[in-house]
Amino acid sequence: MIGWIRHHKHALGTALHRLRIQAFTTLLTALAMGVAISLPSGLYLGLANLSRVAGELPAQPEISLFLDAGASTEQKQAIAARLKQPDIAQARFIPKDEALATLSASQDLADITAGLTENPLPDAWIVRPQATSRDALVRISDGLRKMPGVAETHLDSQWAERLQAALAIGHTGVWLLAGLFAIALIAISGNAIRAQVLARRDEILVSRLIGATDRHIRRPFLYLGALQGLFGGLAAGGVLAVAGTILREPVEHLAVLYGSTFHLLPPDGAEIAMVLGLTTLFGWLGAWLSVTRSLHQVEATR
Amino acid sequence: MISFNQVTKRYPGGHEALSNVSLAIEQGELVFLTGHSGAGKSTLLKLIAAIERPTSGVVSVSGQNVSRLSRRAVPYLRRNIGLVFQDHKLLFDRSVIDNVVLPLDIAGFDRREALKRARAVIDKVGLLNREKANPVSLSGGEQQRLCIARALVSRPALLLADEPTGNLDAGYAADIMAMFRDFHQVGTTLVIATHDERAITALGGRTLHLDHGRIGEVPA
Repeated sequence: MIGWIRHHKHALGTALHRLRIQAFTTLLTALAMGVAISLPSGLYLGLANLSRVAGELPAQPEISLFLDAGASTEQKQAIAARLKQPDIAQARFIPKDEALATLSASQDLADITAGLTENPLPDAWIVRPQATSRDALVRISDGLRKMPGVAETHLDSQWAERLQAALAIGHTGVWLLAGLFAIALIAISGNAIRAQVLARRDEILVSRLIGATDRHIRRPFLYLGALQGLFGGLAAGGVLAVAGTILREPVEHLAVLYGSTFHLLPPDGAEIAMVLGLTTLFGWLGAWLSVTRSLHQVEATR
Repeated sequence: MISFNQVTKRYPGGHEALSNVSLAIEQGELVFLTGHSGAGKSTLLKLIAAIERPTSGVVSVSGQNVSRLSRRAVPYLRRNIGLVFQDHKLLFDRSVIDNVVLPLDIAGFDRREALKRARAVIDKVGLLNREKANPVSLSGGEQQRLCIARALVSRPALLLADEPTGNLDAGYAADIMAMFRDFHQVGTTLVIATHDERAITALGGRTLHLDHGRIGEVPA
């Protein structure tokens, strides 16, 4: 056990030493990785912020139900009873007088409503069903429309659905990009480690001759790959921090134009830890693939 | 300790370096391996350390069948064998002491203990004042002694030396042979491939002669 820890300590020390004496190469590799990782992570952050905007809006779909002007009291009571059923989350009755008052309160329409001799608006219900899927909403909406005394229903969910669909595509895109850039990360790490293995050819051959196991030879390179991945993740963090600083003001300006106090939020601790963990893992993986292959090459050309 | 049973080694391309060689070397023996260059001396040493595998026949070391050793087991065999190379195979990216400490690092020794042992061996080969130097700055004889120090630092039971005095003038060569005699006296088994007739007569011991891959005993 102590020997095992000693081996790992030694390998980590060796890896850090190699990174330090080749600081410029280390920096370039970290930057290449950082730029690659910052694309999917940036998109993820952008979407997270956009989702927050969407969350602030009433994304819940609503059904507007307009009563027939000549609906009887019994019909109105039947409709009210139907809207108390458990598949309806919330239902709010808007009498036509209230609707007209709301309309009149709005500046642009005050003149028009003032000229009306009688209230042309119907009584209405704003219904929020429990279900959110399009099919269920359509079914409820159609059911309500067929009730006696109902003039019309209007399913008010299209824009919310479109936004959700767009965000879903965005999220799929993030995973797709993340997958692609994970491969890029493995390739960058693998390439960097391959160069290291070839540069240390003599050491590997001599170590073999005096009794080094495959694992012993591989270990510093794996640490090298993992550390390189970690630095890549940190570089991505740097890239995103710079991008966030540059974008913050224009975004807040745009938000103000929309009358919102929206501002960009940075990633939380768990998200940062996950990105760093994944880049470390993929750096290690690239190193493993590369060192296993390169070691055989080095020995074949002995 | 070492036995060859009808061992033949043919390299890719058809060159037969060893033909039907059988021999036995006892623990604690000092054996010289002579013969013209290309006679198969290096190949014989490489077969003992599992650097090469025989085309046919059985090589065994300390009861282990080296010719069929798995790749994973080879490092543990080599940790018990000290190897001295004609071209030294030193690492020029580190100091003298770091070269010597390498086998102990590989074996997982405590760093302080390893440095202590390395220093003792460097002292024995007379390089203690060059401990921090880069091997590039050492003379040929010093490099050879450094290579010997690295081979001995893990106190192997068996030392294989391929032309250890090949490129050295007579004075250095005598020094190195004297060191080998000391190791022989403390019980190390030594197999030394060499041209150096004077060393053989000075040290005594058994001599095996290789001629075009065939082996014969030279009467003392």
